[in-house]
Amino acid sequence: MSTRTKVRGTNRARSEFIWGWMFILPTMIGLFILNIIPIFQTIYQSFFKAGAFGKGNVFVGLDNYRRMFADASVWQALINTFKYAVVEVPFSIAIALVLAVLLNRHMRGRSLYRTIYFLPMVAAPAAVAMVWRWLYNSEFGLLNHLLNTLGFDSVNWISNPNTTFIWIAVVGIWSVIGYNMVLFLAGLQEIPQDYYEAAMIDGASAVKQFFHITIPLISPMMFFVSVTRIIAAMQVFDVIYMMMDRNNPAFFKTQSLVYLFYRYSFVESDRGYGSAIVMLLLLVIMVITVIQIRMQKKWVNYN
Amino acid sequence: MKLKKMMALMLTLVMVLSLAACSGGDNSNDGGTDSGASTDTTDTSSESTDSESSDTSGSSDVELTVAIWDTNQEPGLTQIINDFTEKTGIKAQIQVTPWEQYLTMLEAGATGGSLPDVFWMHSNEIARYSEYEMLLDLTERIKSSDVLDMSKFPQEIIEIYNWEGTTQYAVPKDIDTIGLWYNKTMFDEAGVAYPDDSWTWEDFRAAAEKLTKDDGSQYGLALRPSNNQAGWYNLVYGKNGYIISDDKKSSGFDLPETIEAIDFFASMSKDGLMPPYEVLAENEEHALFEAGKVAMIMQGSWMLAELCNNEYVIENADIAVLPKDAETGRRPSIYNGLGWAAAENTEYPEEAWALIEYMGSEEAQQKQSDLGIVISAYEGTMDNWTGAYPTFNLQAYLDMMDDLVIRPYSKTTVRWENMANDKMIMAWTGDKTAEEVCQEIATEMNALLAEE
Repeated sequence: MSTRTKVRGTNRARSEFIWGWMFILPTMIGLFILNIIPIFQTIYQSFFKAGAFGKGNVFVGLDNYRRMFADASVWQALINTFKYAVVEVPFSIAIALVLAVLLNRHMRGRSLYRTIYFLPMVAAPAAVAMVWRWLYNSEFGLLNHLLNTLGFDSVNWISNPNTTFIWIAVVGIWSVIGYNMVLFLAGLQEIPQDYYEAAMIDGASAVKQFFHITIPLISPMMFFVSVTRIIAAMQVFDVIYMMMDRNNPAFFKTQSLVYLFYRYSFVESDRGYGSAIVMLLLLVIMVITVIQIRMQKKWVNYN
Repeated sequence: MKLKKMMALMLTLVMVLSLAACSGGDNSNDGGTDSGASTDTTDTSSESTDSESSDTSGSSDVELTVAIWDTNQEPGLTQIINDFTEKTGIKAQIQVTPWEQYLTMLEAGATGGSLPDVFWMHSNEIARYSEYEMLLDLTERIKSSDVLDMSKFPQEIIEIYNWEGTTQYAVPKDIDTIGLWYNKTMFDEAGVAYPDDSWTWEDFRAAAEKLTKDDGSQYGLALRPSNNQAGWYNLVYGKNGYIISDDKKSSGFDLPETIEAIDFFASMSKDGLMPPYEVLAENEEHALFEAGKVAMIMQGSWMLAELCNNEYVIENADIAVLPKDAETGRRPSIYNGLGWAAAENTEYPEEAWALIEYMGSEEAQQKQSDLGIVISAYEGTMDNWTGAYPTFNLQAYLDMMDDLVIRPYSKTTVRWENMANDKMIMAWTGDKTAEEVCQEIATEMNALLAEE
């Protein structure tokens, strides 16, 4: 209330108020048209059996959801998605953090290394996946070729149902390390140098400094990275789409929820069911994110 | 640091939201285009006069977009379209979208009201497009055309693109047949006679056994479970089984003949006459053939440009007809034919029609065969096709035309076909018997067909 009266109060405050809104207006419009309205349309769509081309929708109530709860492939896909995230997120964060710390020191060729690690982020994901697909190829792939010359047996990298998710996640880790690293570097640079100097005088080793100064002070950034990475990992699609096809015996145990959504919505044009699947994913991600935000008090150090 | 916390929260929120937005984006047209797209262009279709006169007059600056999915056909079709441009002054630009994304692209175009002007239609998809009137009605135009003679095309292909016996939505482009590719060098080495028209499927299997080496360096056959039209469908019909009943209401997967046919190939996979399933899954059949890994593959005539231009294949391989079934004596070839269709709401219906009309004319169809692009659908234009790649026995593909069976389809082909392909993997890997798999497919397919 007090702000309100203040806004009414002076001309200057009012014009600031108007300009403030003007500045965020483009973002707000984009958010509404591209995000918020479609969310409600998706929710709406999930109660319908879709006709083709967005016409001829028939209301079916909760049928899509009932079907989803009885659909083994949806639950398998949810498990697959979790498995992917469990591999991708911790490793991509841990490796990126170590790299960031190493590259934060004064050393020769520092920017060269930073560039190299960031490069995968610049490459188109589809192209990255294509290259990895051929590296992994069990018959003509470079990895198996190397294994064979070293005297080992070939490995079915991307067609063994039990392990494929790991190798898919490796591609994910490889692609995202650079991005995480840049975020961590930004976080590291905010840590005042005095802390380290003080610790050195007190005789703390580099490892001790890392765990007692770096980690706590970078925890807000780690929190941000882990929240966004988990969300992104739960939405994994492109790598799987590019590297595997439906003939693949590992496919059922690797396809993610977003892939399943893509398949129903676009390949088999069953939009209603696809929307129901994506609502499930939305719910799962929201729950995870809420838990993370609740948990942050325990480990994130904001000062 | 309250600010940081808030920032993190906001960013999180945006990330979560953007996820749902991905899914919703395509739905956003639901309400808007419902009526708009289909109504305002219908008036032009009724007075379709002779196209020749109308297009030469004022449409020289028109450029049609033509969507296809096969890169191999692009150079040849560009030549034909250049002829068309010379004749009529209408320009057209071919855009290739790979098959995997083609139908998604079309559907997005149809939903958003931005279909290409002229494009290929497939039997799997035509039903939806007809039902929702997304395609330009060609019925009257065909009737009044003096270039296009529909009686020259195979009736079954015309029927695919005919909606409920009244409306013709596409003009046949081509037909395809299936042939058996074999590696002569491997046959010589194993001392097996080349396949010919006396071969039965038992001979086929016996040859595959001899051509398979124990050390895993060479296998008799590569056939993926997803290769239905060029693969196991042929044997299903050869044994007088079927995939879908004529009234398109029930599945034929539970017929003993169908099961027997599928078991034939599944057991070849289980018995190690095909590469391990993982290899098969990661590599396309023709890639394995081109790499000298397998001695035989079954491929449709649409694969010619790929295979006939491969150096290894030119040096080592040739083509034969498929084996016949010993009991029924049948040697069917599952065939399909694409159609040329135009968008209902195209800006240039007359020009689009002119292109389709030209593509269906004897002249263009003849050229399509002569250039070896594909086997044209037009009666009597096919013979020169064999000359396109003289080093190969292309005649085998034409010989397969004696017993043509149309590729099984219904209104929602993609749904049951994908479901069947997914389940078929279990039969190939040996995790389930062919019979179990077929029964499962039949049950689900009948349910899907009942929904149509």
